[in-house]
Amino acid sequence: MPARRRADRLAEVARGLPSGVTADARIVREAWTTIRFANGRIHQPLVEEGEYLSFRVAEGGRLGTATTVDLSPDGVRTVVRAARALARIAPVEKTFPGFPVEASPRPAATAFSSATAHVTPEAATRVAERILAAAASRAPGGRIAGVVNIGSVNHRVVNSTGLDRGCRFSGAQASVLVDRPERDPPVSGWSEGAHWDVARLAPERLGREAAERVAESAPVAVEPGTYRVLLRAPAVATLLDYLAFLGFGGTGEAEGWSCLRRQRGRRIAPRSVDLVDDARSRRVIPCAIDAEGTATRSTPLIDEGVAGGPVTDVLTSGRLGRPLTGHALPPESPGGEYGPIPRHLVLSPGDAREEELVRETRRGILVTRFHYVRVVDPGRSVLTGMTRDGTYRIEHGEIVGPVRNLRFTESVLRTLRGTELVGREARQTASERAGSSTTCPDLVSSSFRFTSATLF
Amino acid sequence: MPEALIGVALDAARAEGVRYADVRLVTPQRYLHLAVRDGAASSLTSSHTAGLGVRVRTDRAWGFAATRMLTPATVRRAARTAVRLARAAGRTARGPLPWTNEAGPHRGRYATALREDPFAVPGEEVIALLADAEHRLHVGPEVKSGVASFHAWDETKWFASSDGASFHSRIVQVGAGVSATAVRGSDVETRSAPSSFGGDFRQAGFEFVRGLALPEVAEGVGKEAVALLDAPACPTGSTTLVLGSSQLALQVHESVGHAVELDRILGSEAAFAGTSWVPPDGVGRLVYGSERMHVVADATAPGGLGTFGWDDEGVPAQRVPIVSAGRLAGFLTSRETAAALGLGGSGGTARADGADRAPLIRMTNINLEPGDRSFDELLEGVDEGVFMDTNRSWSIDDKRLNFQFGTEVARRIVRGELGGLVRRAIYAGMTPEFWRSMDAVGDRSTWHLWGLPNCGKGQPSQTAHVSHGAPAARFRGVRVRGG
Repeated sequence: MPARRRADRLAEVARGLPSGVTADARIVREAWTTIRFANGRIHQPLVEEGEYLSFRVAEGGRLGTATTVDLSPDGVRTVVRAARALARIAPVEKTFPGFPVEASPRPAATAFSSATAHVTPEAATRVAERILAAAASRAPGGRIAGVVNIGSVNHRVVNSTGLDRGCRFSGAQASVLVDRPERDPPVSGWSEGAHWDVARLAPERLGREAAERVAESAPVAVEPGTYRVLLRAPAVATLLDYLAFLGFGGTGEAEGWSCLRRQRGRRIAPRSVDLVDDARSRRVIPCAIDAEGTATRSTPLIDEGVAGGPVTDVLTSGRLGRPLTGHALPPESPGGEYGPIPRHLVLSPGDAREEELVRETRRGILVTRFHYVRVVDPGRSVLTGMTRDGTYRIEHGEIVGPVRNLRFTESVLRTLRGTELVGREARQTASERAGSSTTCPDLVSSSFRFTSATLF
Repeated sequence: MPEALIGVALDAARAEGVRYADVRLVTPQRYLHLAVRDGAASSLTSSHTAGLGVRVRTDRAWGFAATRMLTPATVRRAARTAVRLARAAGRTARGPLPWTNEAGPHRGRYATALREDPFAVPGEEVIALLADAEHRLHVGPEVKSGVASFHAWDETKWFASSDGASFHSRIVQVGAGVSATAVRGSDVETRSAPSSFGGDFRQAGFEFVRGLALPEVAEGVGKEAVALLDAPACPTGSTTLVLGSSQLALQVHESVGHAVELDRILGSEAAFAGTSWVPPDGVGRLVYGSERMHVVADATAPGGLGTFGWDDEGVPAQRVPIVSAGRLAGFLTSRETAAALGLGGSGGTARADGADRAPLIRMTNINLEPGDRSFDELLEGVDEGVFMDTNRSWSIDDKRLNFQFGTEVARRIVRGELGGLVRRAIYAGMTPEFWRSMDAVGDRSTWHLWGLPNCGKGQPSQTAHVSHGAPAARFRGVRVRGG
């Protein structure tokens, strides 16, 4: 059955529920090709395609959600029954405001690449081969590994208030590691990028960058302690992604553990720190609606250093008494329980060139990316994690050589408060199925606490 | 019959002339998640999925394709797509793919032994249990958030391969837990039971959830969350550390289980999960820990989330020594990695988390064997130290060496006895030094098989369900501090 007719039929189902029962339904159709490579060869190529239906029912403030991959009439009837059965046993959500209405702002069109959405297995493989070739030409003898993800998502939301909205997005994402495991200690370099159009992924650049970042000399040990840091874009993106959850998620605000709940409207960073969440921007992988059909928009999170408010979905807008911001996650997704989170972050570039960032760091540590980052203290935005794939010492304004990887235990807010310089070139990173993407530049912060070191 | 689709897919792959093919049909794959958060329903979701995955191997490369649309036409197309991928990937190959010849072929059926089907328990009863438990967490105004949650999974799978292996399995798993978060100013303290991140999990029926007695433990959980707000910070320094079973299970997971995955060791996961400090030639010579350290990968352990009949390459479940008397004794392996290392056969640990993912090396039930000390005996002789349990944060480097773990709860140990609460306890170290510092291991009374349903690995990401049996144990000279 064509997608359009299927959505129409679901809208009829949602509107045809008994009095006092409302619902929203979301059909998601996606197709992705993943090409993993390691040890210089493609070792795990994968194509997946699928479609599923998520049906959420509200009966007197009681909500239940059921999903299915069976989109036949029988399948739809079954999933509606399952959602209603769950709703009937649910505790009442006293502040549930109802589902979004069609009269809310209409979604604007966002960028989409048909060539990206319909990539063939051979074309996707060719992107990986271009990365491999570029890296191998710059780092003969290096071991090359990484991944390419290319595909698209098409989703449509209808609800019993009459809302009927659709959105599709395409995405391409790649990352590459070049390492020399035979050296003692080993050395490695990294690069990554993303775009909504695979033609603009620049695979040769990614392969070349990773190879060129592999240090010639052996990493030396440095004492853990507090250093000025130059954080490359992937490292900045990791910190911002955590801040989005800890500081701007509606659930954290409602439950009182948000690290920013007492700092809204206050200065938390210099004016050079300007962060928005903008799922319509072509600088991220755009998506015109959230999982509840609310139109996405540009939401200031840190406006020239001043903290903005939390983002919302239907449930948190009711709990907080704030308007919908268009940040609902699929309620059935693993992250759905944590509520709305900004997932299309754009940190405004500054005006510092790369050489200026290094020069002005004067003495400190350059971090390419972080590994295995976890929350230590949510109320203070303290995280811990490791550096990896290119950690360098900067002395007298020059990169003097690699250092062994370090563990940090540091507050994201403290790091942003110490921002001294922001790079002029932004880099986009994205999750593997492009549900979230972040565009940010490199950044220099005055102090960053490293609490231990590892052996390599 | 949906299983007839397996033959369709295998025939389509064979017709393309591949060296090997295997097909997994998963239908249905059911999941139920019920949770009460602050008196409201934070998540009442059920899902019903199905799909078929085809994996093919040419002389030089793998290809994998999956579809959720179960018709003969779509599964044929998936098989042909897998072959196209393998042929395209073969352009980057440097030689033939290694592959073990396993005994068999194996055929059979496997099913979880359960008394009470969790999907047949009335939802009202489950919600009433959760709501009761969640309500009891709110012992005072400081408890800003309480959660009681229940999860159930039910996966029916058919497997067949071109070398003749085939099996059918139905695996049912459940879990539940409670968690209270107390807040005062910027101080946030969370306490959970029976463990953090959703509680405890088992391959079993609803009888396991009843046995957790969540309403009975909830009030104590709430009180301890509030008490932590007033507790002094964990002292800083090098000291004797006693870990409870729950935290030690995660320590095993992060610093042993992942480190002995042979795909990591051979570089297949280098760009994402990382590699390992364990060398491929370390069996029998690498000193992993003290002589009291005995670890097995046991895919036959009753009730484990990593227990099954056959893995997703058709290899039977096994019990494999990993560390024996402190020395590396084995790896977690697949057919390809075992052959690459010249091992006789696979240890049977290649698993996928659904039909739309290709199998990877995943932990089964990685268990630290119990020792001979009661819990009180672990404390004896400790003039000053710290007891920690229930994980709060965890992080380890990409070779599984440098780790830092925080726990929800910690208490001072003073002259052989547990003392007052301390908060935000963190311990850190390097994997081999840490395990070599283990000078006493708790006995069977301190040992528990913990289920972890959230082990991430692979691209696209896969979430494995694994278990870890662990006792309490004592470690000397460990760096601790308040975070």
